Amino acid sequence: MRRSQGLTAAALLGPATIFIAVGLLAPLAILFRYSLNSFVAQTKTMVEALTIQNYITFFTDPYYTGALGTTVKVALLVTVVCLVLGFPLAYVVARTQSRFKHLLIIAIVLPLFVGNSVRAAGWMVVFGNKGFFNASLMGLGILSKPIEIMFTENAVIIGIIAVNLPFMVLSLQSVIESIDRAVEEAAFSLGAPPLTMFRRVLWPLALPGILAGTILCFILAMNAYATPFLLGGPLFKMMAPVIYNEFTQKTNWPFGGAIAFILMAVTLSLTIAANALLRRRTAA
Amino acid sequence: MARLDIDRLVKRYGDFFAVKDVSLSVADGEFLVLLGPSGCGKTTTLRMVAGFIEPTAGEVKLGGSNVTLLPPWKRNAGMVFQSYALFPHLTVAQNVAFGLEMRKLPRAEVDKRVEEALALVRLAGFGARLPRQLSGGQQQRVALARALAIRPDVLLLDEPLSNLDAKLRQEVRVEIRELQKQLGLTTVMVTHDQEEALTMADRLVVMNEGTVHQVGTQRDLYERPADRFVAGFVGRTTFLSGTVANGRFRTDGGLDLAVAPSSTGGAPGKAALSLRPERLEIAPGPIAGLDNDLPGTVEFVSYLGAQIDIHVRLSPADRLVVQIANRGGFAPEVGQRVHVGWRASAGQVFRE
Ligand SMILES: Nc1ncnc2c1ncn2[C@@H]1O[C@H](COP(=O)(O)OP(=O)(O)OP(=O)(O)O)[C@@H](O)[C@H]1O
Ligand SMILES: [Mg+2]
Repeated sequence: MRRSQGLTAAALLGPATIFIAVGLLAPLAILFRYSLNSFVAQTKTMVEALTIQNYITFFTDPYYTGALGTTVKVALLVTVVCLVLGFPLAYVVARTQSRFKHLLIIAIVLPLFVGNSVRAAGWMVVFGNKGFFNASLMGLGILSKPIEIMFTENAVIIGIIAVNLPFMVLSLQSVIESIDRAVEEAAFSLGAPPLTMFRRVLWPLALPGILAGTILCFILAMNAYATPFLLGGPLFKMMAPVIYNEFTQKTNWPFGGAIAFILMAVTLSLTIAANALLRRRTAA
Repeated sequence: MARLDIDRLVKRYGDFFAVKDVSLSVADGEFLVLLGPSGCGKTTTLRMVAGFIEPTAGEVKLGGSNVTLLPPWKRNAGMVFQSYALFPHLTVAQNVAFGLEMRKLPRAEVDKRVEEALALVRLAGFGARLPRQLSGGQQQRVALARALAIRPDVLLLDEPLSNLDAKLRQEVRVEIRELQKQLGLTTVMVTHDQEEALTMADRLVVMNEGTVHQVGTQRDLYERPADRFVAGFVGRTTFLSGTVANGRFRTDGGLDLAVAPSSTGGAPGKAALSLRPERLEIAPGPIAGLDNDLPGTVEFVSYLGAQIDIHVRLSPADRLVVQIANRGGFAPEVGQRVHVGWRASAGQVFRE
């Protein structure tokens, strides 16, 4: 009996485990090994070595640390804005008794059907200096000079928020839906005004969804590629485009590997730290 | 505690009236039960008192002051929900303390009142548990303690016992009622369980389709139902349909019956005669000394232990249920010819 249960568990976990081992851990291990190699720029070849020079280069060059700083800043901002915008939306979707609830959910998911790069390209058309938005306003005489929207940090932040918001809303909505409406009413009847009710009842009960949503949103933002690349312009640097550049343009695999590992480590540690902080704040 | 007055309350959804023109008064310390079939507007009425639903028209007055437009957190109403609605992330003690903390009482006072409230519902020592570590009955008592701890002006209960098993329900009924008397709580409870309503209430309100049909004590509702709906809803009864004329009731099946003179005034017309099964007598032969005595045939017998229900056909269109106590005496069988009799005062006529 015990034995067959163990076998069933192994059979259930097996395929996923093998997939993760072959598809994720093995490449990561190889990449990590590469990141300790050195690179000869003239011949564009990787030389077998065991050095942390790539990591040192990253942290001593303001170009790269700047990219990391921008990435973290943008990701944090995007995550906070997604939470603030997403919670009320998720709440309404979760609590609505309308017959059109499924349409609401489809409307939220719909943007995901358009790939990030297609969407970013669309934004370029609308918000460029000669794009639809500026051209119309200038044509109407409302503006004399185009508003700089494209190729700014704000454009990237807005772009990533638009991409990530559905993930946040869906994570929150499913958790809020599982919270008994009567619990909120109980808090009201005991004298809690809406904000207090939110802080003492809804927030702690929705915390699993809040954590899932923020983690997902933060990781997606940290690794955003198409949006910063297309909307940020050539001078705007975030980590994913930089890594891509190292691998494809410079074919510098050791350095690209090092940056990838730094991005992963920073993402992971910030996620864990924020997670612990949120949990502790709520427990107190 | 305070008195509660509901004045011409209306709740309309689109062109559907969930509650139409309900007026009620609950005296200080009184236990009022709203009773009625599913969908008659009981919950809607209660939730308008609690402040969760905004009335389309009408007023709610608590302790004489108009609270109709106040949000729930500004009314001092304790509510016990059907699902209990305990805060799952808080311990029992924290649940009970919640309302007291909202009132910004000092910590020592909060702790003292939590203890008191838990002791009141016999859950002293359970304070550190989480709701999910309690049985349904215990959760129900925590919900009650939480509502009582804030010393509400009015206690509102929406089918508080419907999630308990039958035996526990009977115990908790008595417990809540005793607590309510001891503390002098002004209470409104909603239920569609008649027995529950009858055992707990000081007065009952019978509702149907959003309107109040009758307000009264158990005895009022049973002995003097205001209309045909109440007569049929409270307790058991058989209706014979027919017409009243000249102080008599003539059934559709052609029986000519004596009825109480008070109910036959006015012009002749269609009516229904309500006869409670336990007010009828049955015998193998003619029954002397009763206003009505009719021969019939037993069609169906259901044996319920302490009592026996006998369905008797009096005419092709008229059938009655007679209930007799099972004292080991006369017990007719299906097909047997019998006589059924009753006093005129036992029947009640409702004009249509
Ligand atoms: N939000 C709403 N929109 C439309 N109709 C509603 C709404 N809420 C309640 N109703 C209707 O109002 C009527 C009264 O509902 P209510 O919940 O008060 O009934 P109830 O007497 O408590 O019934 P039950 O015993 O089944 O709980 C029902 O017919 C219900 O369908
Ligand atoms: Mg109800």
